[in-house]
Amino acid sequence: MTARGHDAPAHLPAATDESPERPSLSDAARDAMITDNLGLAHQLARRFLHRGEPLEDLVQVASVALVKSVDRFDPERGVDFAAFATRTIIGELKRHFRDKGWAVRASRRVQELYLELGHATSTLVQQLGRSPTVAELAQMTGSSEEAVLEAIEAGQGYRAASIDASENEDDPLSARMGERDARFDAVEERALLAPALARLPAREQAILRMRFVQGLTQSEIAVSIGVSQMHVSRLLAASLQELRQHIGSDSDDEPAD
Amino acid sequence: MIDGPDLAGSDTLGDGDCVTLIFPARGDLVVLARLVASAISTRVGFDIEELEDLRLAVGELCLLALQGSDARHGDLRLEFTVSPASLDIACTLAGAAPARGAPNADGPAADELSEQILAALVDEHGRERQDGLVRAWLRKRRKGPLA
Repeated sequence: MTARGHDAPAHLPAATDESPERPSLSDAARDAMITDNLGLAHQLARRFLHRGEPLEDLVQVASVALVKSVDRFDPERGVDFAAFATRTIIGELKRHFRDKGWAVRASRRVQELYLELGHATSTLVQQLGRSPTVAELAQMTGSSEEAVLEAIEAGQGYRAASIDASENEDDPLSARMGERDARFDAVEERALLAPALARLPAREQAILRMRFVQGLTQSEIAVSIGVSQMHVSRLLAASLQELRQHIGSDSDDEPAD
Repeated sequence: MIDGPDLAGSDTLGDGDCVTLIFPARGDLVVLARLVASAISTRVGFDIEELEDLRLAVGELCLLALQGSDARHGDLRLEFTVSPASLDIACTLAGAAPARGAPNADGPAADELSEQILAALVDEHGRERQDGLVRAWLRKRRKGPLA
């Protein structure tokens, strides 16, 4: 088993420490070290491909970092040169992206790509007559398939929040969604009732209004319209029966408009 | 195949959470390891640079696990384990026999390069042999307390 520990690998402190006592290499030895390790610089540059930077640029950054490694390397520290150079080159490649604002662009790029994928999907559905594949989306957006998958995954993150998810356990999202308002039912019923009511004679409509809107008793209605309470009762019963029939037949049929 | 907590319903991964990813040991599927590493890194609270480190590192881990094995019929198994102090990732090749004959042309040199890259990207890493197969692992320390 091998195991290695490093206190701060991302910051590469050893690579940036210049040692004034370091013995200088002859020009020939220095050139030989650089030439021998150009392959390493190339291999490491390739590890950073598919991030929007051409390979030639990455190889250039890695090669400059290799030269720095050679100039800063101190054999007396007992560190293997390849390990030292790898850390230096990776540090420089990371710094290259960071200096170009890549760390900020990375997340923005994913978001932009996610939006772009929406347009690309619509276009491809129309062109192909079917849902596009990831490969087709990658080709249309000029991205790698991995970037497309990453954008889709990231998109799910802000699109598909769980209904139970919440920043506050005491205040889940579902608690803020409200319940069915009983007044919606009243509006619906009124919309159904109005045309049925209009079919009744004017006197029956007036009796229904007095009973159910104004809240008068059957006796008060009887006095008001000059008939017996028994007659009001029969008129109300007949009117309600007629309303039920109208509403029943209307709701059984498809709406006329 | 992915075993583990329901990532879609949770914003974070906490102490003791473990996600296991198993996929056929093919180079074109290492993208799965990187995508899962991204998703988990985000939920563990790593920043974008640490996330990128882990995406690179997990690819190297897969390469290391494949070294010296005939991976044609094997599966790569990755375990992502969250602890208060770190995210640990282990990669093993299951169901594959040790390679016969000459070692892979990319053998020792590729091993060495992957190890050097891991050294630059993560806090600790290692390799051990189990029944002739390699188990490669890494540890990336978390800066703050559990999210």
